[in-house]
Amino acid sequence: MLFAAFFCAAVLLLFGITYIYATKYATQGEIAEIEVEFARMIEEARISQYAALPDMIAKRLRERGSEHSFYLLQDRFGHKLAGNMAAMPPIEGGVRLNRPDKDKKPYVVASGHTLENGDFLLIGEDLVLLEEMDAVLIRSFGVSIAATVLIALVCGLLISRNVLRRVASVSATSRSIIAGDMSTRIPLRGVDDEFDHLAKSVNDMLERIEDLMQHTQQVANDIAHDLRTPLTRLRQRLDRARRRDPADGAHHEVLDRSIEEVDAILNTFTALLRIAQIQAGGTVSSTNPVDLSQLLESISEDFVPAARDGGRSMHARIAPHLTVNGDRELLTQMVVNLLDNAILHSTPGAQITVTAQQIAGAPQIVIADTGQGIPREERAKVFRPFYRIEPSRQAEGSGLGLSLVAAIVNQHRASIRLEDNLPGLRVVVAFPS
Amino acid sequence: MRILIVEDDGETAELIASGLAEEGHEIELAGDGLDGLARARRKTADLLIIDRMLPNLDGLSLVAKLRADRDETPVLFLTAMSRLHDRVTGLEAGGDDYLVKPFEFAELVARVAALGRRPRRMLVETTLKAADLELDLLTRRVRRAGREILLQPREFRILEYLVRNQNNTVTRTMLLENVWEYHFDPRTNIVESHLSRLRTKVDKGFTPELIHTIRGTGYCLRVHN
Repeated sequence: MLFAAFFCAAVLLLFGITYIYATKYATQGEIAEIEVEFARMIEEARISQYAALPDMIAKRLRERGSEHSFYLLQDRFGHKLAGNMAAMPPIEGGVRLNRPDKDKKPYVVASGHTLENGDFLLIGEDLVLLEEMDAVLIRSFGVSIAATVLIALVCGLLISRNVLRRVASVSATSRSIIAGDMSTRIPLRGVDDEFDHLAKSVNDMLERIEDLMQHTQQVANDIAHDLRTPLTRLRQRLDRARRRDPADGAHHEVLDRSIEEVDAILNTFTALLRIAQIQAGGTVSSTNPVDLSQLLESISEDFVPAARDGGRSMHARIAPHLTVNGDRELLTQMVVNLLDNAILHSTPGAQITVTAQQIAGAPQIVIADTGQGIPREERAKVFRPFYRIEPSRQAEGSGLGLSLVAAIVNQHRASIRLEDNLPGLRVVVAFPS
Repeated sequence: MRILIVEDDGETAELIASGLAEEGHEIELAGDGLDGLARARRKTADLLIIDRMLPNLDGLSLVAKLRADRDETPVLFLTAMSRLHDRVTGLEAGGDDYLVKPFEFAELVARVAALGRRPRRMLVETTLKAADLELDLLTRRVRRAGREILLQPREFRILEYLVRNQNNTVTRTMLLENVWEYHFDPRTNIVESHLSRLRTKVDKGFTPELIHTIRGTGYCLRVHN
């Protein structure tokens, strides 16, 4: 649209300039011709010392008619001596005048000079031809412009639709990449145009990113794996030493604590590797339908006694027949992690609720507690690995619980958000429909 | 029990072997898959402990071959790395249990004992008994000394597992895996809360006390004959 408008403006400008120059040129041509006539008349009249001029004028008017030819002869005092025009202040050179019979078109191009004897002679021609040329020009310009506008609009539409289509295709590909599908590529049309070059560059970039991601994944896995082995040995030795040590031995306490620390490190690695596996799509065999209602009922029931023992109350309201496609084991771990958190970050007297229902054709789980909640500014960050809200707090667990939850949520193409339960925290997991 | 350990990591093998020997078992060792297979085929062991990653023949293939030969000797897999569905593939290949390294030695001992109890032929039972406790597996009802005890479904399953493994220590992990089918460790101690409620229902008002807590390891349903 913009393109069409721009194009039209350019064309109009071109035509406008052409028009102006055309008319100017034509006018000047006309004036030149008048000057020639002027000179001829003067030559002829000089013999009679210009006395013959009025007769000459009258003769010419008779021959040519006063429709298109105009003459004026006036004395030095401005009194009209001959001609079909009204007296006027003398001028020198070419000029454009209105017709004496003002109700008719077109205007008159004239040239006037003061003679040696003080009289003023003016000869003019109306520009019938010029006006006709004008009309033709304008008409043809008009048609041309209309045609140009039409063509520009149509072309613009076609081009922009094509462009938009290519752009939309790039957008769609980008969206699916952002959603996590690193393997998509922008389709090439094979026409080797600018868009194809662009698409190819972007695809190369994606290739590189995918490689880097896999490389990083691999590096992290290798590190974790390499460090697990010596840690495993360490733990085994400590375990053996503890077994060999009588229960009241001096070293027992140290051994117990050491084993605890090593276990904590190993748990962290296990969790890290598990997250990596989940992110790499390790849930190969498992897009089976999972009875979400039954899973939630079962886990909630399992947690009731433990919650009660800790002085918290737990309630569940699960709609029946909710199903999702996914991995039962991972979904179980996700729910357990969230319930663990609800219990851990609340105090005796807190209430924990688990609700699940179908919203807009998609299952949604809400786990809410009336505990300490998460401040608004922290909510986006808590899913990061190892992120802790209070760094000084003695770390329980590996700090990866929510990272794991996030990875599982992603793998199921679900979404998770944290809200204020006023007080406490509300976790909402929404699955795709 | 006579136990064959197929493990290529010398230190781990020595650790397990010496530990189990101390528990009173007879140990045989193999350092790679082919040697392990040859020894297993002699059918002298009551239980096989096999590491999944072995030179020459990996653990899974070893067990698959044994099972193809209709060898039903119980197998406990050991592995250093647990990928998401490793456990499933291990059990599908014919393994009976699965332990990820590193493990508490007590965990190994408990599982070895549990596997050792497994009868050669799987009998279809309809009732389980322990002292004056009777579990009807069909109606899912429990009686002790003739009196009915009302249990939640989960509690019944815990009791069933304890009774099947009576007189052996059952670890928390074993309970989580077999009763809850959680293959991870929840931070909330659901095992303990369930066990304390179960113990109240089953032992309170009855003698002798059947369910015991083994500190640092797990639980045991002890029946004195």
